[in-house]
Order: sequence, then structure tokens, then C-alpha cells
Amino acid sequence: MNARFVATLTLSAALASAAATAQERTTVFTGARILPAGRPAIENGVLVVAGGKIQAIGGSSLPRPDGATTVDCSGRTITPGLIDASFRGGADPADLNEQSDEVTPHLRVLDSLDPEDRSFERARAGGVTTVHVMPGTRNVIGGLGCVVKTWGTDPATMVLNAEASLRIVMGTEPSMGNRAIRGGSVDSMYYRRPTTRMGVVWEARKAFFDAKQEPETVPGQAPPAANPGREVLKRVLRGSLTAYTTARSEQDIRTALRIAAEFGYQTVIDDAQDAYLVADELAAAKVMVLLGAPSAPTVAGTAGADGSDPRFATVRILAERGIPFVVTTGSNLSALDLVREAMFAARNGLDPAKALDAVTILPARLLGIDQRTGSLDVGKDADFVVWSHDPLDPAAVAESVFIDGNSVLASR
Amino acid sequence: MNTRFSLVVAACLAASAAAQDLIAVKGGKVMTITGPTIDDGVVLIQNGRITKLGKSADVEIPWAAKVVDATGKVVMPTWVVAHSQGGQRGFNENMQNVPWLSVADAIDPAAVYFEDALRNGVGTIHVLPGNQTLLGGSGLVVRPAGRTVEDMAVSGNTGIKMSLFAAGGGRLQQIRKLRRALDDVREYLADFDRRKAEFEKEKAAGAIAADKTWTEEIDRTKKGACDLVQKKTKGWLFVPSVAEIDEALRLDKELDLQIVLGANIDDAVPQLAKFGKPVILDDTIEYFETDEETQKEKKVCTPKLLADAGVPFALTLGAGGPTSYPWWQLGTCVRNGVDRRMALEALTIVPARLLGMEAQIGSLAEGKLGNVQVLTGDPLQATTWVETVLLEGEVVYDRAKDPRLQYLFAEDVKKASDKKPTDKAPEKAAEKPAEKRGDAAGQGEPKAEVK
Amino acid sequence: MHLRSSLALLVPFVVAVERSAAQELLLKARRIVVAADAVLTDGALLVQQGKVVWVGTDIPADARSRAKAIDYGEATIVPGFVLAETTLDQDADLAEGALAFTPDLRAAEAFDPWDERLLALPALGITSCAFSPSPRNVAGGIAAFVKPGKDRGAIAAAELHLSLSLTGAARNPERQPTSLMGAMDLLRTTFTAARTGTRTGPDAAVMHQVLQGSRPVFVHADTWAEINAALDLSRDFGFAVVLVGAREAGKALPRIVQQKASVVLDTLVPEGRLEPLRLPARLAEAGVPFCFAGQPEKLRLSAALAVRNGLDRRTALQALTRMPALLLDQQQVVGSLRQGSAADFVVFTGDPLDLDAAHVATWVDGVRIAGTDPAPKPAASAASATVAGDRR
Repeated sequence: MNARFVATLTLSAALASAAATAQERTTVFTGARILPAGRPAIENGVLVVAGGKIQAIGGSSLPRPDGATTVDCSGRTITPGLIDASFRGGADPADLNEQSDEVTPHLRVLDSLDPEDRSFERARAGGVTTVHVMPGTRNVIGGLGCVVKTWGTDPATMVLNAEASLRIVMGTEPSMGNRAIRGGSVDSMYYRRPTTRMGVVWEARKAFFDAKQEPETVPGQAPPAANPGREVLKRVLRGSLTAYTTARSEQDIRTALRIAAEFGYQTVIDDAQDAYLVADELAAAKVMVLLGAPSAPTVAGTAGADGSDPRFATVRILAERGIPFVVTTGSNLSALDLVREAMFAARNGLDPAKALDAVTILPARLLGIDQRTGSLDVGKDADFVVWSHDPLDPAAVAESVFIDGNSVLASR
Repeated sequence: MNTRFSLVVAACLAASAAAQDLIAVKGGKVMTITGPTIDDGVVLIQNGRITKLGKSADVEIPWAAKVVDATGKVVMPTWVVAHSQGGQRGFNENMQNVPWLSVADAIDPAAVYFEDALRNGVGTIHVLPGNQTLLGGSGLVVRPAGRTVEDMAVSGNTGIKMSLFAAGGGRLQQIRKLRRALDDVREYLADFDRRKAEFEKEKAAGAIAADKTWTEEIDRTKKGACDLVQKKTKGWLFVPSVAEIDEALRLDKELDLQIVLGANIDDAVPQLAKFGKPVILDDTIEYFETDEETQKEKKVCTPKLLADAGVPFALTLGAGGPTSYPWWQLGTCVRNGVDRRMALEALTIVPARLLGMEAQIGSLAEGKLGNVQVLTGDPLQATTWVETVLLEGEVVYDRAKDPRLQYLFAEDVKKASDKKPTDKAPEKAAEKPAEKRGDAAGQGEPKAEVK
Repeated sequence: MHLRSSLALLVPFVVAVERSAAQELLLKARRIVVAADAVLTDGALLVQQGKVVWVGTDIPADARSRAKAIDYGEATIVPGFVLAETTLDQDADLAEGALAFTPDLRAAEAFDPWDERLLALPALGITSCAFSPSPRNVAGGIAAFVKPGKDRGAIAAAELHLSLSLTGAARNPERQPTSLMGAMDLLRTTFTAARTGTRTGPDAAVMHQVLQGSRPVFVHADTWAEINAALDLSRDFGFAVVLVGAREAGKALPRIVQQKASVVLDTLVPEGRLEPLRLPARLAEAGVPFCFAGQPEKLRLSAALAVRNGLDRRTALQALTRMPALLLDQQQVVGSLRQGSAADFVVFTGDPLDLDAAHVATWVDGVRIAGTDPAPKPAASAASATVAGDRR
């Protein structure tokens, strides 16, 4: 125990000096078990970082550049920084939902983003270096999600994609705050549709119908009346923007797939608790599934009444059917750190290497940022985590976390 | 659904429970907790007690013994939870001063809480009244297996639950009420003794016939409280926050107390270090605190602080959620720097000592009860599952026959969901806090009811 | 600075209709702070028609003979404090309830000259303020420059800046917008519409003035996220921004400097965290123009707390006087006691940044509207005041 403690001190001292000049100087991390994501583990690996990028990665025989600072990571495990493809933090929850309308496709969650939000600090401490923040679940079509790193000197430097997705929500949450005429004043903005699950679908369908009806702008002609929301929906219809439909119960997942098929757009299914019940349909539609908080034994989200019936078997069934999925924290209020959610996926029978891929390279590919991050490969951003144990061990703690080569944990 | 599952479990067990007077758990890595770990060991249990413990090569297994093959697995004592309010139908009595009540009347043997506990390898649970009380009745040590409270009971009259949690009214009011309740009992006792002495005096003086004897007994409703003030029984005192800790330590000088801490108790560590006696922790052992000046968050782990301060502690388990898993609790300790061995002891031998049962449970040793669990791997790994649980030498849990796991892991989901019990009954929420934890509306569940 | 040369500009005056205004007054005190960087010892102010007509130490003989002398003795005279943002007692009347976007509304039209809070300002050393639309609306409207008087206040300039707000107060759960991204969308959409000309009308006209640079903009923004949003707008639509509140300005400092934004601070409280208390000093160090504002009762306290936490006295006094005047574009009229300025000044027994200095009197437009006149002094001491003093 004492020897171990001393080793930790040396490591953190080394990291502190490495961090100061992280951007310029070359730093070599040696001795760790490296799980690069998407390919086999490297025992006693060497990771070379300079200029905020990964310069080299390999086994102990990898040549080390002259004049580099060496950080001994013996006994540790290094993984890529984790990526949460459905992260419910990033801002004050009230700012993630524009309550004045059901359909607000053009609202940008980036405008509400608070770089100082505590959720970023917690995410970093848990080894999460990139997150996908979407508008909240109060609206049928909430707006444009963004992909950001969890640390940056300036909010602008955090952004990887300002307009990464369009969030659509099925189920009961978008209708929850609305009320019928008997429920209160007709002057209230909450006196409006939808108040039912059917109404939610109607709003989504109407929005896409209107977008489809509207003629494309022809050069040389007067443009139709400016409607930025409709422009966003057209991007989804054209396939240049990915829809993320939050659908938890079996019926909501089916509805999400039906509307997407009806209008011919691609969607990702977010928080797909009941995915195991519609495995055939998901496989046929070739959609990606986001599995929110596998640690939760039951319904995610604030509604709690979406009627889904989560099972431990989900990860195994999806893996067996070849349905691509990633693990997220999702909209579950009691989701654990992302790495623990991956751990629970492994507990439920997912192969540990796949569980790690499901929070690193797979979400990176999904979000279209795999050229930048998501695995430890030469030329990618130096986003990585030094863990005390194997990351899927409950005793694992992120001893240091790097984003673009900068050490981003305050002090340990 | 709860009832149904539990009955199925019970039915499976009934068949195997009978007459297993000789059983051998063989081939596993035996973690004895208090002694050395034995690779490829054998635990021999006869008539409910461990009679032999050693390497496979050294222990001869009698031909008549039923053998549980634990080859490649881990064998260790079942977990011990020294303070719990789970498994009861209503653990907070409306009246505050009810020392004559017993949890025996509130325990629901069919509660999912017990089913989950068994699935997690818990063999002994000390069930006490809830924390919204003053003098709240006596607790019961149970094993989470059996169809009636009598089946489950291991030992009764473990002491009186006491609480400094201010339920309505302020903290001072609660302290005043508790002091007053104790004083009332002391006055009653003094009065009782005075009257008894007068009787004897008058009898000696001949004013009362010589053949008459003093027949009055201590009032039934006051008996437990009288025992408490006379230090004949233990008080299990819930201390919700650092603000009540001084009062708790003062009460400890007058009574035989066991301190049970609330969650957010890190500031009390210096006082507890001086106090020196072991404490029982809340199931929430890791939480965030915000520095008022810098607004920076700091993660606090109570077991780590106590370990550093040299205060012995017992861990407890939550009802539902990750803290209901022993591996999660121990893993939380280890990732925050608590020694692995200390973490293991905090859910085995330490709580056994606090219950005065260290000669029976809490470790594997010859002469102790045959409370043994077989795990698929290391008890601190998330991927480890409990395979078999033996309580007093009886197999009371077998993972292969666990209907709830079969349901959750169903090979053929469609088929399993056809069989899915109609479990949307409203009372389910009240009994199964675990299943509501993802739900904001579910915050009104027992979690929110102050423990 | 050319205090002596100002003598030459002294012209013979005409007898005014109103006696009090026409009467030349010669105010003397041990220290006269003409501006934060120009302090006279044993100087005098010559006031006529509500304006400062001369300031210096060598009092012209004719002025001495004509003017009524008022000698505050050992006291210090400072320019009247300017409160850069306030809704006085009329907050309820300064935000439309149903609509968040009302850039064309004018606070001047809600102005109540008998507003009690306004009339209480002079006793706090405040002689003018920007009466602003409430931050409860995203585009609240146009602020007015108002001054307290003896028994009623008056509008000095009906149209100042446009007041926008991105704070939590502007995100009302009962009307659009309810979120920061909704508020940003509203402003982006309306600015874009004004730029492309797809939207017309009085509200679009105001947005157009902003785009042209003829209408200054104050944006209420407290958190880092809100400040960033305000700076995004400033960058995307090319206008200079004054941030109001800016509690977390420290975190966004590099961007604030880079985009040349200014800051109107909220009240500093002694029992608060250290970070906001140190913010004024950090802003000063980074060269960000800023002024104190917030609750009028705590304006002087805020400045004193900032000094206690590392701000230099000169900048602190600037931030009560000259700087708010500059941010409101009223620096020709208020914020200093140069020749031609309004005769708005406050008399304290000492340095106003020392909280043990007592308030003696407040003058607005050459009229004392709070406090007392000095007690009559023996002639000998009046004579000593004629001795030319050191300018520092």
C-alpha cells in the first residue's frame, strides 16, 4: 500500500510538470496497459504526445523521441477519453427546453451551453472528454444538438460540431406541461397541443409534412418567407443532418421508426430502453441505438410513465443481432458516471472490450468525430485517461485526464 | 409480482432445504476474511455449523455429504448488514415514542428487499424501525430467507431504535423530546422502585401480611425503554448530521449506544476520531460537496475519512440502486483509497461484532454458522454474480433457479414477456424503490423518507 | 486640465429670470475633485445657470465680488455619482408582461417624476441615472437619462441605449422565450431580419440603429454562458456591447478584452464570496472600462469594497462618476466638474471611498437638493481660502 501511494505521488508530480508545457513539449507515457479502442490491448504500452496530438503509440519497443518528458504509468490503464453520445448536462436544465413552442428545430443548444456547468467538471473527473448535448425532452422537436469537449480555455475551443443533430422526442414528456382548457387560463401559453402521445406524433408529422411541402428555394426567385425551423427539417430530409429520436418504450420506438420511414430520413434511437423488443425492426431499419444508463433497472427520463420495461438482456441481444449501439448516460436522472454505465453493460453480459468501444470509438463514429478523437491513434487529438485500475473495475478512478494534451483534472 | 417471485424462490428452496445436515463446498478460493485465503479449499458444514475448513488435499469429504462444486469460484462468508429499515411495510410509526413496538410486526417476508439481499449474497440483516422516531421500537436480526418472520428471525430484542432526526419541529425540540422521554422512563423506574421498597418496608413492619409478595411488573410498554436507561439493552441511535453529533456523544455516556450515521457526515469525523468507537454508515458513502468560496466541487468518501482517522466502521447497503450491491460499496471504498481488506471487513466481521454475533457470523471459521456464499469471481468486480448462498448449511439461493434473473436475462424475450406478470399494480412502487430510481417522480419513495 | 486658461473664457453673464439659477455661486472646499485625475486643494467652483462656469484655485476678483460664496471648509467636493442602470421604484412598469421583444418601448414614457426612489438618490450621492427597461424582457426597450430634483425629478435625455437581457429574469416560464437558446434565437432572428430588411416597423428600426452603430446596446448578462452569448451577438452583428451585471465576467475576461466590451457591475456585498469582490480590480488590470451600479443604497459601499479588495482609488472614483457618464454617452454633461459640466456634485466630510466620510450635501444643476449649507464662518477663514493652493 505504501509503495503504491508513493508511486501515485510520483505520477501526479510528473503529470503536473508535464501539463504545464503540454502543448509544446513531447511527453511519453510508458508502462501502462493501453486499451486503444477498436483494436487489441497493448501491454506495457508507450504513448507519445506532442502539440496536443498523439504522435506515436505502440509496445515497449517503440522508439522514444529525444528530449521527451517520460511519465511512468506502470500498473495503470490508459484508454481514449470517453465520449457520451447523449449527455443531459451542459447547461441549466431550464435553458435546454424552450417551452414556448413544441417544435423549435432551429434552436441551437450551443447558445444555452454553460462552459462552467458543473456537469462538465463531473464528466471530466469521470474520464469523459467529449459529449453530445441535445436540447431537453420537453419539446417534440427540440432543436440542434452540439458536440463539445468537456474542457476548453474558451467555449469556442470546446466545440467540435455546433450543429450535430436534431432532437425529436416521442412518448409522454413533450405533452406533459400542456393542458386542456379546463386545466387553467386560456391565455396561458401551455394551453395548447399536444396533450397526448398521439398529439406528439401529430406535431412531428405536421412539421416534416410542412417542410416537405415547401418548395426548395430556386436561385433567381424570391425565397419563401424565412422559416429557419423548416430549413433545419429540410436538412434532415436531405440527409445532411442526423435526427436523434428519443423513444423508450416499444411503441415509441416503433413510432420513431415509422415516422422516419414515412418521410425517408435517417434517425438514431436515443434512450432505447425497449430496443430488445424491436430488435428485428431496428436491424431492418439499420438504425443506431443509444442505450441510456444500463445501470438503471427501469424507466429513464422524468416522465417515468413511458412504460418501457428494461432488461439486463438488452445489451446481449443487441450485440447478437448486430444492431449497432453505444452506451450513454442519457436522460436518466440517476445515471452514474459513463464509465460505470459501461461497467454495468459489461455486467449484463457485454464483452468488456465492446463495452469500452461503446463509450469511445463507436460514439465517435456516430457523431462523425472519429477523425479527431475516440481512439488512441496517431494524428488524433491527445484525449485520453490514465486509470488506476481497468476502467470497468468498480475501483477504477481516473487519475489523470487529458484533453488536447492538457491535463484537465484540477488536482488529485 | 413481488409476492409471486418470492413464493417461487421459497418453493424452490423448500425442496432443497430439508435435512441437509452435511454439506461440503469444494474447490473454490476460500476467502475466510479473518484468516488466510485458501486456494482450492473445502468448507465442511454439519448441522448448520462449519466443522472443517482447509485445503482440498487436507480435508476429507465424508461420502454422505452433499457437495457444492465451487471450482474456479470464490467462497466467502455471506454479508452482514448491521442497520437496515428495509423489508418492512411502513418502517416509520406515526407516533414518535413507541419503544414497545417491534419490527417483527412490520417485516414482510415477501418483500423484494429480502429477495434482492439474498441475490446479493447478504446472509444477515439487522432490521430496525425507521429514522423518523424518538424511541422507535426494537429491532430483529433476520436472514433474508423464509416464509414467515419466525423462519427468518435469527435473534430478537437487539435493542431500541433511537433517532436525533428532527421530524417536524427543530433539532433542539427533538433533543428535548428525547431527553424528556428518557427522563420519564427514569422517573417511572424510580417510582416503581420506591413503591416496591415501601411495600417491603411495610411488610417488614407487619403492615402487610407476610404471605403477600410484590406482584407488580414493569409496564409492558415501558419495559424496553427501562432496559435502555438501565443499560440492559442497546440503543441504536441515528445521527443525521454533524450538528447532532455532540448530543449523540453525550447520550453515549448515559446509555449503551451504537451510533448510526446519516449520509452527509464528513464534518463530524474529528469528533468521531476522539470518540473512537465503531460507527455504522449510511448506504450513501460517496457524495459531492461544494466549497462556498471557490464554488468548486469536492468528492467526499466517508469510509476513507473514517479510515484515515482510525475510526472503525461498518458499511450498509441501500434498497435498490447501485448502493444495494456489495461490490459497488466495496469498490467505492477501494477507488477512494480505503484498503481492500478493511472494506471487506466492514461488511462482514465488523457488523457481526456490532451485533454481538462475531462468534457466529462474519467470517469463515470452524465452529461458526455455515453462512457461505459462492461467487463467480472476485467479490469486488461488477461482472461477478452470486451463484449459491448457504445459510446455516442450507442452500437458500441458487442463481440458476432465480426467476427474476431468468426474467431479466431471458434468452427468448418475446416468450418471457408473454409470461410477464402483471406488475403494474400501484402498490409496486411502495415496495420496490429500486425500480423507481430513474424517475424524478420516484423521489418520493423510501429514499426520500428520511432514514 | 486647463484650469487656469478657463479664466479667459469667463464671460460677463446676463441676469437670469430665475434668481436661484441666475445667482452666481462660489463654492469652496478643502478638496475639489474635478475629475478622478484632477484634484484641487483649496479650490473653488463657480456655478451659474446650473452649470460649472469656472473651476480653479485663483478665484477671479469679479467673481469673488459678485458671487455668493458658500464655503464647505474642510470638506471634499466630488462630481455627483452616475447610476448607469436602474428601474427606480417602477420595475413593474418597465417590462411588458406578454411580450419579451419590445425594443421600441421607451422607459421615458414610464417615468414618474415623483418616484420616491429617485428623490432618495441625492442623499446617496447620486445625481443622475439611466432609467432603464427592466431586465425581465429580452429586448426591453430604450433607457432614459433622468435626474432627481428638489421635489420632483426630470428627464434630461429621453433616449439613451437599447437595453437587452439574457439573464434568468428574461427567461419567463410563461411566455416566449423560456430558455437562453430561445432568447438568443429571438435576438439573432430579429437582428438578421433588420439587417436583411425582411422586417419593418418601429422595433426593426431600433435594431437597425444598433446595426448602424447609432444606438448603443446594454446587455444584461450574469453567467459565463450569458456573457458569451452577449459577446456572440456583439461579434456577429458588429456592435459594441456594455455588459450589465456580468457576475462571472472574470471567467470571460480574455473575450471581454478582445471584443472591447464594457461592464456595468452589480452591487458588491461584503458577506459575499471573494471572487466578485475582486472582479473590479481584475477588470481594471485588464483595462476593461467598468462602472459600479446595482442598488443605489450600496453604490458607495460597492466602490469602497472594491478598493478594499485591490482596486485603486482613482479608478474606483472614476467608476462612480466619469465611467458611467462615458458608458451612457453623457460625459459632456455629467461625471466630472469641468467647465461646462452640469453643476452636479456631492460634498462629503472626506474621501467618499472611506465609509467614515459623512455625506454633507448634494447639488444637482446648481441647486442644493439634499443635505445642508455650511455653517457661517468667521471672515478670517474665508480670507485664507484665497491663498493659492497646490493643485495636487
